[in-house]
Amino acid sequence: MALSESLRNELQSLVTNNRVVLFMKGTRGAPQCGFSAQVVQILDELLPSYETVDVLRSPELRDGIKEFSEWPTIPQLFIDGQFVGGCDIVRSLNASKELHQLLGTSGSVPPTPKVKVSAAAANAFQAAADPSGDQLHLKIDAQFQYDLFFGPSEAGEIEVPTNGPTLWMDPASARRADGLSIDFVTGDGGGFKIENPNEPPKVKQIAAPELKAMLERGEITLFDVRPSSERDIASIAAAHALDAQGQALLFSLDRGAAVAFHCHHGVRSQDAASQLIGEGFRNVYNLKGGIDAWSNLVDPSVPRY
Amino acid sequence: MSSHPTNFQGSVPDALREAIEGQVPDSKAVVSGGGGHYTIEVVSPAFAGKSMLESQRLVYSAIAHLMKGDAPPVHAVDSLKTRVPAT
Repeated sequence: MALSESLRNELQSLVTNNRVVLFMKGTRGAPQCGFSAQVVQILDELLPSYETVDVLRSPELRDGIKEFSEWPTIPQLFIDGQFVGGCDIVRSLNASKELHQLLGTSGSVPPTPKVKVSAAAANAFQAAADPSGDQLHLKIDAQFQYDLFFGPSEAGEIEVPTNGPTLWMDPASARRADGLSIDFVTGDGGGFKIENPNEPPKVKQIAAPELKAMLERGEITLFDVRPSSERDIASIAAAHALDAQGQALLFSLDRGAAVAFHCHHGVRSQDAASQLIGEGFRNVYNLKGGIDAWSNLVDPSVPRY
Repeated sequence: MSSHPTNFQGSVPDALREAIEGQVPDSKAVVSGGGGHYTIEVVSPAFAGKSMLESQRLVYSAIAHLMKGDAPPVHAVDSLKTRVPAT
């Protein structure tokens, strides 16, 4: 299959506009192949964020990237617009620390992240502090799950001063922590609350009336993930079908543009929205309750089925 | 071991070895594996002064035809080692 001019341009702009791009099978959170998973694991240790492209999205993409880089296997890593290599090469560059240089990370010791602790959180830490004098640790794993605990310091950990207690973090956690803030809330669902600007984007739920308002202000593009058999029964006038034309429109949008998906009840569109995050879109909404909620709350002229 | 469907007839390791030795100058290739997954080691003076990327590219270009399409004989190269002969 020959690489089309438009796909070549799309690939070129992907690797030019993003410092680090990994073409892989599956997504960063759910790799579908062992080689892709190994490279994700290496990059996760070194970088708070990077772009990934799931080549399983289409056969054109899977074959196209091989032709683009003249390399027959997936995954493929690009840094600063240059093809770096596949899994073998990334592993060997990581072992020799050359990868750290290419990525411009300092390797073993990351810069000390800036972390804010609210007064309420500082008080809560003080109340919980271990009398034996153990340190307060914060671990952030690659999925951005947080673990706050008291314990003895571990080898390789770095000391992070805050406006509250000093935190101890391993290097990978520290790379994911710059700009993080910790608060403490009381009452139902209370506890420590962590906000972290490095967290990868998540699918946001939007209610039908809010979506309608955004559509009317021209702030969001809505896509209907249902097959034509269902669209024939009922559809939202402003929604684009995800056919070839709709997909072309979607992937022509800026990765920061607001995009919403809907289906019948909001389950299939949630899947599609999660996949879109894997493609690098950062502002993705799912219509809560699907077209059924739209009919119920916004436009009763849309038939329910 | 996983397996991957292919219509390829004959020995895939032999096909890989012949393709590599035919294209990479003065090379000796050792191929093992099966079920679509292969391990390849190639020794050739052509790798002298080349980076790992350039060396692997040389080998991959020789076997690209065995890795193309929907059901290729070679699903994955688990490990590809290239080195120059000891003198």
